[in-house]
Amino acid sequence: MADLSTQNPSGLAQRVATALLRAGGGTTACLQMPPLQGDATNAAQIGLNPPGLLSLPLAPAVFRKARVTMQEGELPKYELLLSADAVAAQVTQLQLSSAQTLFSMACGVVVAGKLFLIEAVSASESQGTAYLYRLLLQEACGEWPA
Amino acid sequence: MQNTKDTFYITLRTRLAAVNPARTMTLRAVTRPGMLVGEAEPPMPQPMLDTFTLTWTAFEADLQLPAILARMTCELQYSTAGTQASAGLDRGRCLEEMDYEVLKLLYPYSAQKMNYTQNPAAALETMVFWSEPAFTPIVTLRDRLSRTAKVTVFAFQELGEQ
Repeated sequence: MADLSTQNPSGLAQRVATALLRAGGGTTACLQMPPLQGDATNAAQIGLNPPGLLSLPLAPAVFRKARVTMQEGELPKYELLLSADAVAAQVTQLQLSSAQTLFSMACGVVVAGKLFLIEAVSASESQGTAYLYRLLLQEACGEWPA
Repeated sequence: MQNTKDTFYITLRTRLAAVNPARTMTLRAVTRPGMLVGEAEPPMPQPMLDTFTLTWTAFEADLQLPAILARMTCELQYSTAGTQASAGLDRGRCLEEMDYEVLKLLYPYSAQKMNYTQNPAAALETMVFWSEPAFTPIVTLRDRLSRTAKVTVFAFQELGEQ
């Protein structure tokens, strides 16, 4: 049965999440996005042309080691908590349909000059609107300038 | 050997556009035929559905001939979860369609070797040729059906070729 009670979204959860991330040592994470005009040449598809990735800063963010069971030989996993306000701003700027689209387009995330691959994305919601995104990351081999 | 790999991929991708023009994907802001080289694209946590991913695995060289004969194994990996309109219940049919496309993509079993580092691409003097596919059994993971077709690709290493 549908919940027909009146709920007025006030953006409180988004503001609290942003404030908590900032207070919790908020850093900046940069999504590595393909250029808006893609390279359709053969050379781009066989690894000849550099991809020309754009760095899309998202802040405030909190970066920490994920609490997952480690297997031998497996690279450590990390999680990145992102403010939904920051994500929404970039989704609007890039004229994308959703945050999921933004994350699925990204080729990785750079935090403090280190590249990480996105393994999974989840969102915490209040009143049907996301206030926090949690990205599960795996360390990659690449080094990026901070 | 890189020219062999590039030629094989671009030949199959061009054939795919003719065999099934509707099989497309959008990757790095470009909509193109649904085939990609795994090592030339960003790593993905899950393989893309309804596309073919080429992975190069084994490599051997026959040095007993006047020119080096390179023998490489290429795995075409593909998976599907069916269509949304059929709630995924047609995933078996979709996989069978991809199996048939693999057979059509690979025939004829040869192509002129090209050098794609030049623009326009330059034709080299020898051919790239390959074996018939060896299909692995279906792997089922929840609503996802996957299969791999293994092909052995042969090419002579030409003088001056990198």
